[in-house]
Amino acid sequence: MAEAHPLRTYATTWVALLALTIVMLSLESAALPRGLFVSLMVAAMLAKASIISAYFMHLRFERVSLVAMIVIGLLVTATVLYVLIVPDARRIHDMAVGQTMGARP
Amino acid sequence: MTQATAHAIDRWGGGTCPFEAGWRKVMMWSFIITDGLLFAGFLASYGYARLLGGGWPDQSQVFSVPYIAAMTFVLISSSATMAAAVQAARDRQRPATIRYILLTAAGGAIFLGMQAFEWEHVIEAGMRLGQNPWGDAAFGAYFFLITGFHGTHVATGLIVLLSTALRSAKGASSPEGVEMAGLYWHFVDLVWVFIFTLFYLV
Repeated sequence: MAEAHPLRTYATTWVALLALTIVMLSLESAALPRGLFVSLMVAAMLAKASIISAYFMHLRFERVSLVAMIVIGLLVTATVLYVLIVPDARRIHDMAVGQTMGARP
Repeated sequence: MTQATAHAIDRWGGGTCPFEAGWRKVMMWSFIITDGLLFAGFLASYGYARLLGGGWPDQSQVFSVPYIAAMTFVLISSSATMAAAVQAARDRQRPATIRYILLTAAGGAIFLGMQAFEWEHVIEAGMRLGQNPWGDAAFGAYFFLITGFHGTHVATGLIVLLSTALRSAKGASSPEGVEMAGLYWHFVDLVWVFIFTLFYLV
């Protein structure tokens, strides 16, 4: 059980987070195709976020009901929020573009 | 009825503690969810502004990536010392708890100082809320909004850390109190992971 040596777990967590950060920084300087680069970065970002919440924030050792409330609640609401912004962003953007074009003689 | 079902009903059928966590922890997590949604909203809005707008600047020309990496290193390390502080508080080692909390606060202060320096640098280069020399006018607005809100959270965290250290020194702080300060501090680190990736690197 990881809780037997908490300080060691935290040290490992710290090293893992730093290693992932270094990987991300080296990807930044490597000339990768845009789509692959963004996918790898987002994957590394989500891995870091999971490591922080699981070990630093102890979610790995909490009851499943609490973890479900936090993870499902946050992910679903964030996704809905994100999806709802699309049409509005498009609309405002089209309005702005329309105004610029209308201003021309 | 299987034993597992009986166990579940025992917990949920009018159970008083379905999360097996104290009210402080449940409330702190509820706060973290809502506060996380604030940043999710900012980042979603930033994503669409960037996709729909024209000519988003190349961040590596505006910011120094090694400098931002150093800020990230400081914040991740302060999160690690905070985890050690929570453990020391659980083990009832008061001097170690205070030492680790102060170390964490020092990390937070260094991070804030570095951010202030970065703001000064970009403002001198001509970045404003509505304009900047590099590209899309919204770039400045999103930079100040997102890093500003995150910096405010770090500053709030510093106050929480210092008051927790003070309370621990007086013997007034419970291990759970230190743990809640820790949860908030890790959350600030968590948000930075998203900002660092989505705003500075991608």
